[in-house]
Amino acid sequence: MDSPLLPHGVKRCTPGVFFLWTLPWLALLAWGGLSAVLCLWKGLNQTNMSNVFAFALWIVFDLAVIALGAGAFFTGFLTYIVGRKELKSIINTAVIIGFICYSGAMAMLGIDIGQPIRGWFIFWHANIHSMLVEVSFCITCYLTVLAIEFIPIILENRKIEKVKELRLLGHNLHEVMAVFAATGTFLSFFHQGSLGGMFGVMYARPFAAREGFYIWPWTFFLFVLSAIACGPCFTILCTKLTEFLSRKKLVPDDAIQFLAKMSGWLLTLYMVLKTLDYLGWIYGVVPRAGLTFMDFFNEGPYGVWMIIVEMVFCGFLPAIILMTPAGRKSQGWLIFASLLNCTGIVLNRFLFIIVTLAVPVMPFDRFWGYLPTWQEWGIGLAVIGYGFIVFSLAYRYLPMFPKETALNPLPVE
Amino acid sequence: MKITRRNFIASVVGGVVGIQVTPLPWKLTDDAAIWTQNWPWVPVPPTGAATEENTVCNLCPGGCGISVRKVDQRAVKIEGRTDYPINPGGVCPVGMGGLQLLYDNDMRFPGPMKRAGARGEGQFVEISWGEAYDILASRISKLRKAGRPEAIAAVDGNAEGTTTSLLIQRFMRAVGSPNYVKPASITDTYAMGNLLMLGKSTPMAYDLENSDYVLSFGCGLLEGWGAPGRVMNAWGMWHDANPAKRKTKVVQIESRASNTASKADFWVAPRPGTDGALALGIAHVLISKGRLDQRFLDNFSFGFNDLTSLSGQKKPGFKSLVLKNYSPAQVEKITGVDANAIVSLAENFSKAKTPVAIYGKGKNNLNGSLYEFMAVQSLNAIAGRINRPGGVLLPDPLPLSPLPDFDPDEAAAEGLKKPRLDGAGSPAYPFSQSLINHFAKAINNSAQSPVDTLLVFSANPFFTVPDGGGFKNALEKIPFIVSFSPYRDETANMADLILPDHNYLEKMEDTVWPVGLQYPFFGLSKPVVEPVNNTRNVGDVVISLAKAVGNETGGVFPWENFEEALQVRAKGLFEAGGGMVHYDPSHPAWRFNPFRSIPKPTYGSFDEMWEAMKSGGMWYRPVTLGKSWEGLFSTPSGKFEFVSQKLAQAVMAYSHETSVKEAFRQLGIRVSGAEAFMGHYQAPKLGVDRSKYPLFMVPYEMMNLAGGWIPTPPFLYKTLFDSQLLKNESFAAINPETAAKYNLGQGDRVLVESPAGQLKVRVDLFEGAMPGMVYMPLGFGHTAYDEFQKGKGVNPNNIVNALNDPVSGYPVWWNTPVKLTKV
Amino acid sequence: MKKENDHGKPDAGHKALHQSRQKYGMVIDLDKCTGCGTCMVACAAENNVPVRADQTDKERTITWMRLYKISNGKKFPHTEVSYFPRPCMHCDHHPPCVSVCVATATKLDFNTGIVSQIYTRCIGCRYCQAACPYGARYFNWWDVFPQDKGMDRYLSPDVSPRMRGVVEKCTFCHHRLMRAKSQAYAEGRREVAEGEYVTACTEACPAGAITFGDLNNPKHAVSKLSKHPYAFRLLERLGTEPKVYYLSSRDWVRRLADNFLPGEYQPVVNRTWAEEEWSTKPGRDQF
Ligand SMILES: Nc1nc2c(c(=O)[nH]1)N[C@H]1C(S)=C(S)[C@@H](COP(=O)(O)OP(=O)(O)OC[C@H]3O[C@@H](n4cnc5c(=O)[nH]c(N)nc54)[C@H](O)[C@@H]3O)O[C@H]1N2
Ligand SMILES: Nc1nc2c(c(=O)[nH]1)N[C@H]1C(S)=C(S)[C@@H](COP(=O)(O)OP(=O)(O)OC[C@H]3O[C@@H](n4cnc5c(=O)[nH]c(N)nc54)[C@H](O)[C@@H]3O)O[C@H]1N2
Ligand code: SF4
Ligand code: SF4
Ligand code: SF4
Ligand code: SF4
Ligand code: SF4
Ligand SMILES: [Mo]
Repeated sequence: MDSPLLPHGVKRCTPGVFFLWTLPWLALLAWGGLSAVLCLWKGLNQTNMSNVFAFALWIVFDLAVIALGAGAFFTGFLTYIVGRKELKSIINTAVIIGFICYSGAMAMLGIDIGQPIRGWFIFWHANIHSMLVEVSFCITCYLTVLAIEFIPIILENRKIEKVKELRLLGHNLHEVMAVFAATGTFLSFFHQGSLGGMFGVMYARPFAAREGFYIWPWTFFLFVLSAIACGPCFTILCTKLTEFLSRKKLVPDDAIQFLAKMSGWLLTLYMVLKTLDYLGWIYGVVPRAGLTFMDFFNEGPYGVWMIIVEMVFCGFLPAIILMTPAGRKSQGWLIFASLLNCTGIVLNRFLFIIVTLAVPVMPFDRFWGYLPTWQEWGIGLAVIGYGFIVFSLAYRYLPMFPKETALNPLPVE
Repeated sequence: MKITRRNFIASVVGGVVGIQVTPLPWKLTDDAAIWTQNWPWVPVPPTGAATEENTVCNLCPGGCGISVRKVDQRAVKIEGRTDYPINPGGVCPVGMGGLQLLYDNDMRFPGPMKRAGARGEGQFVEISWGEAYDILASRISKLRKAGRPEAIAAVDGNAEGTTTSLLIQRFMRAVGSPNYVKPASITDTYAMGNLLMLGKSTPMAYDLENSDYVLSFGCGLLEGWGAPGRVMNAWGMWHDANPAKRKTKVVQIESRASNTASKADFWVAPRPGTDGALALGIAHVLISKGRLDQRFLDNFSFGFNDLTSLSGQKKPGFKSLVLKNYSPAQVEKITGVDANAIVSLAENFSKAKTPVAIYGKGKNNLNGSLYEFMAVQSLNAIAGRINRPGGVLLPDPLPLSPLPDFDPDEAAAEGLKKPRLDGAGSPAYPFSQSLINHFAKAINNSAQSPVDTLLVFSANPFFTVPDGGGFKNALEKIPFIVSFSPYRDETANMADLILPDHNYLEKMEDTVWPVGLQYPFFGLSKPVVEPVNNTRNVGDVVISLAKAVGNETGGVFPWENFEEALQVRAKGLFEAGGGMVHYDPSHPAWRFNPFRSIPKPTYGSFDEMWEAMKSGGMWYRPVTLGKSWEGLFSTPSGKFEFVSQKLAQAVMAYSHETSVKEAFRQLGIRVSGAEAFMGHYQAPKLGVDRSKYPLFMVPYEMMNLAGGWIPTPPFLYKTLFDSQLLKNESFAAINPETAAKYNLGQGDRVLVESPAGQLKVRVDLFEGAMPGMVYMPLGFGHTAYDEFQKGKGVNPNNIVNALNDPVSGYPVWWNTPVKLTKV
Repeated sequence: MKKENDHGKPDAGHKALHQSRQKYGMVIDLDKCTGCGTCMVACAAENNVPVRADQTDKERTITWMRLYKISNGKKFPHTEVSYFPRPCMHCDHHPPCVSVCVATATKLDFNTGIVSQIYTRCIGCRYCQAACPYGARYFNWWDVFPQDKGMDRYLSPDVSPRMRGVVEKCTFCHHRLMRAKSQAYAEGRREVAEGEYVTACTEACPAGAITFGDLNNPKHAVSKLSKHPYAFRLLERLGTEPKVYYLSSRDWVRRLADNFLPGEYQPVVNRTWAEEEWSTKPGRDQF
């Protein structure tokens, strides 16, 4: 019944089945919606955040999805600036994922601040010294860029395409897409970086402090690098999931393999630098603060094991798998490695946010624990629900995978 | 025109774009920012003319000078006065939070009220003052007509000697009841001890500021002992950052690492209740090393050397008995304090130029032990620290005029002949003014309450009496209870009638000689704000009540109002002369002759003095010594008595009624000979199976928690640690060793059970707690007031299993045998 | 970690400015401090700090001035406790909280050294809380005041009550500076004399443990005391340059003020009386 809206020459499930598929995600959205109303109406006392855990689950989600969404700008960069034609078959997916991640993050931030109505003060009373201001500016601009990148894909919808002006608009946008890709790349570089900077500049928080690379905290570069190292893997994972659910091949291997290879390289480079980072931190920053590495872990649930997991299992291991052709060519290993890679980055963000705040700086202060409330989970998970829905709609109604028809010719009746 | 999809879209898009170029979105965002600053539920403190009003804080007997910052008629801040002798500058946390007690409606009574709900529920309906007077006056007259005025009783928490308390006593005498009871406080112990050793109940005057070695036997110097404003100010001086000015050493003797113990220069930890033995142990060292003030001992002391009785035979005196029974080794066994430490304590005490040994138990709110106090005073005496700068001074009481005497009418006279319910003053408790715990017992032990009508003034015995809930039960038996409290405290909630007093910032009131101060001081507070509620100064209320009861009683109160009565007493201050009504911080009142010549009084007439006192809030004289040693002591011997003859006579008189053995038993004296009449240590007769109750529960007090009648201002809960109160549970401090025996960890829940009852608390593992002890803070466990206080923690008083302190009969609240059971 | 100060003026070369500049600071003598908590209450009363029924939730209760209880951890009867009264340190070098604030709602004032907080501009992002190592910043998790209890009657108009969702902190009672200034100006003076501007906690302390004044003015007691051999600051080595100093004659207290690697801590030569008197004689170490 919605067949006139579906792309040409593709097979989609019936509206009924599609509706059933969206139900769980709509449920998550409802849960999140309720939580959001409570937090905005009754205030942030609905959460388990505190003066100790000023940042918590939501910020972890924010930083995680923004890192994972980095596939968008990086793929865009490779496609339009570097000119890797094979990526055209996956760029749409990357863009949509990016859009979902960034819009989701923005929504969460809107609820996270105590005075949402004053949110715009960030721009009006901007403090140029604040990394968070840089983040806010870049993310907002980049979200617009993503929207613009998203539009042509929407305009390719079979029905909309019928409107001549819109078809033209879409076509012209395609022509200039390189410009936006470049802008996006530029913006992303800076906000991914300043996200890292946010924590590196906290020079009075020895667990996070990373100052000393000229004017920059070096987490700036580590965050950029880790983001573009995991972003592509996340794009791959989403694609693979879609292929698995739709039981058909949607993206040619060359695209996937190229992304995987890039990820491999970048992750390897990142792991080298991250190792240096830890060494520089353990032997530079930490002793300067009068602490030893182990001092951070003598209380509470967070232990050295987290760092080992981050570095070894979710760092070097996937790096090696992705670097070895055999590894990334095998479907199973590729997915496994991508999963580890993404997990590692999320874990890294978790360390920088939660553990930084959990560890007391004053020797006589004590360690604090934190568990999110259902309201916090609700809002966090709603972003996932939202992601699935937007992604599913896009897959159903838009030619998200240009090669889909070629790879899956319909039987002629 | 007809609307096509096309031009519909066009117009919508056009509209949206169009609005962007109007000021509307900008205006909206700007307004939005302003809304966020102006939500109607964000209070907007009205502005107005700012003024400062001086008065005196009455929340404790400390008498700190405060100035209240007002904006128009609202009091917005309390600040300490630098131009005040007691507390130059600072105040204590309770005093600082005072405005919350003034303005928190839920904590106060709106006006006179009648009980509506069940007792303890706190359900009342407002009535008029007239009706309130009628109800109470008629009830009292009825009892007087029925010939049982003694069935009217009063519990009065107002400080000894204040005009309010005098008026209440006068009222009780006028209506004809002997049953006027005061909660026991440390001042009672001082008064009794001084009566026995000095022959007069002079105000306790420790010259702390001029002492260079303060040996504190259990005084919570930083927990609220004495006049806290004064003591903490002295503490600051003692610890001057300039080593040259840092002359005073403080030694704290206490079983727990309290703030005082921790912050003191040195801490000695004897077992609770053995301070007396420690004092005598130190005396032993001084005597055996001959570090004595021989001149004082020879000329002005009695009973130090051996005595010869009338029949001529020699009896060992203080010296012999101390040498015999209190050697450091013996004292170590009693107190647990290392013998060497006792020796070095004695050495430092005698090496110091102006040492003083002071006695107390935590704050002043509760009594001490008579014999312990006498032992500590003896230490001062042998070191010659009596009537010496930096020691114990013997000033005359304030020269306040007494209220004119009167003869009670015959109805009253009859009632006054009846014995006091609490037995105070009877042969068994010869020197006690009142015994509130026995008062409760008397009621609980009789089938029908001998008290028909109980009047409660400035007291919350339901909560504060350490008798395992005895007073609470007594209240339930008393047919009619009247509370004059401004606050909805536990006792008031049991009352049938409320005649609420003003809050301390709304009333005129006097402060008479703050506890432990070494110079004569009279504080006068005045109303600084209009009464918030329909309340009346309890002084005025008592006067009106007396008049309402009848002409006989009314005639006894010839004054228009409370202020007149105050003036009558203050006349004495004027006639005595030499009093100062302004304070200049550069001439501290504790400094001996701070002025080259005593300055002329700044007033010519009484009225001038009175006005000056009302604005300045004080009358005082700089510290002086007793001029002549002769006549300094009013004991039978005319000297300082190590062995009290007054006590001996009282015991003898009693033994004539019964037998010597019986008299000793009744008085709780468990030693014989002269030792019975001097400061000594005797192991308490617990009468409890220690195998069942192996530990001791020791209540302790905190500066930042109001323990007595006054509610704790909500702000103070910010200052408590979550190892003292967490949500609604309070903690007991236990030594990790002891806790381990019951495998208790930090925060575990535990039942503390004594023969008197049990309480559930959480465990705070504290190295500073003496092993074998369970320390519980006083001030938690309210069941009244409002959301800030109600149901927060537990009240150790409810499980105190109090013995009688020998002779005084006051409750021994500091060592209750308990057992722990993990929950 | 040298950076220009947060008004973008380079620290170097502004001699003239430095002369005129006040640098308000505080010295808290921990030997005098009795742990009574009056400073906390005075601060709350002075600055309209909200109270809630449950104040034991130390992660969310607002205490601009906060007492931290510390212990020497020794066994009975050698145990000692002490307290760190902790206002905002008004960090003087590149305050961690100021540089991160997104909305310029908190600033280091160049002329006073006071780190201010404009509630009306704060958006409640709480980045400053994450950046402050002293836990001196407090977020309004709830709407401000107990309603209809009459308690809003003691609110002072000198300090605006905060709305929900903004961060607040100790401001060195800077409305008192304004009051003192207006007074001085009214009397035709340009300078505020020592003692004319003192904070509420300083004034309230019954032991006189807190001293407040201009650290740039050698005549002021604070600048003398801040050079006392017993003087130290919290987390000094992080380079936040707190303007709040502490004094203590007890080494175990000073050792707890900062993190030290083994062997790094240098005890101060002066020792407490207890040690001097008793280490040589039979004393507390004997029992
Ligand atoms: N402790 C402390 N106090 C401060 C400051 C500080 O940093 N700390 N900062 C000072 C400085 S620099 C500033 S900017 C100010 C900011 O604070 P203020 O100068 O007081 O201005 P606002 O905060 O905008 O308004 C205060 C309150 O006034 C109420 N209000 C709004 N409109 C009106 C009105 O029309 N009439 C009346 N009567 N009330 C209204 C609102 O409820 C608002 O919460 O605070 C000053 N006071
Ligand atoms: N969104 C929003 N923004 C606002 C406001 C608002 O209501 N909402 N309020 C506006 C208003 S009313 C104001 S006043 C500003 C307040 O903001 P500002 O006044 O711009 O800055 P603050 O630091 O908050 O406040 C006063 C500063 O001056 C310093 N100071 C104190 N005394 C002196 C002195 O004697 N000399 C000098 N040189 N400095 C001193 C203090 O340390 C503090 O840094 O914010 C404005 N911004
Ligand atoms: S010590 Fe007593 S008198 Fe002084 S402020 Fe505190 S409560 Fe008031
Ligand atoms: S008021 Fe003074 S003594 Fe009391 S805690 Fe604060 S600083 Fe210490
Ligand atoms: S103490 Fe914290 S809040 Fe205060 S200035 Fe330093 S960083 Fe900022
Ligand atoms: S919470 Fe307020 S003060 Fe803190 S950084 Fe955000 S805007 Fe600035
Ligand atoms: S200086 Fe003022 S604001 Fe800061 S802690 Fe002291 S009283 Fe509170
Ligand atoms: Mo302002």
